[in-house]
Amino acid sequence: MEVLLFGLIAEKAGARRLELEAPTLSELRARLAERIPELSALSYAIAVDRVIVKEDRALNGSEEIAVLPPFAGG
Amino acid sequence: MSEAKAHKVKDIFVEGSIDPAYIATSIAKHTTRTDIGAHEIFLGQVRADTIDGRTTKAIEYTAYRGMALEQMTMIREEAFVRWPTLTCLHVHHSLGVISAGELCFMVFASAPHRQQAREAVAWVVDRIKSELPIFGKEMNADGGHVWKENR
Repeated sequence: MEVLLFGLIAEKAGARRLELEAPTLSELRARLAERIPELSALSYAIAVDRVIVKEDRALNGSEEIAVLPPFAGG
Repeated sequence: MSEAKAHKVKDIFVEGSIDPAYIATSIAKHTTRTDIGAHEIFLGQVRADTIDGRTTKAIEYTAYRGMALEQMTMIREEAFVRWPTLTCLHVHHSLGVISAGELCFMVFASAPHRQQAREAVAWVVDRIKSELPIFGKEMNADGGHVWKENR
């Protein structure tokens, strides 16, 4: 599945998108941590289909996933 | 229901800074709406903060557009429920590099009376700052940068 990265997270990953495979959100977090070693020290949220999801859940691979650093609008 | 209250997804994002002349034009567009008695406008300007001797010369804004616009639509709808007499609500946020001193954010509400317009603008500004996925890279005069975080 395609994972969209933004701001500081995209900078640390050196990419604005990653291609990852994970059947659940918790496994996706683990894959992300492997690909972006700095992630464990950063504050971020994961959005599934444009809604922030905190609990673990199953993923079917068709969702729009985004990794979001702290917001800074205004 | 007026066109201004139609709850469709509106694009709030503009490339580059917000021109003060555009704001004047926006005000002028309301002269035909004689049910309006009060306008309240919040404008955000890029501040040249100095932290550890480094001064911000600009902020580069990026956004997760799809989510930001969905969140904004929900915030708009909730604003019109909370303040039913609100006549209209206009929101713009800049993307791209905005220099210190330039405007990057506008929330403009109009209502028959000042209280609704004032309350709505303050509430909408706070909600946008905490809930819209907008990211800001504060670019320093020395070439370095720091990622902005709303608190």
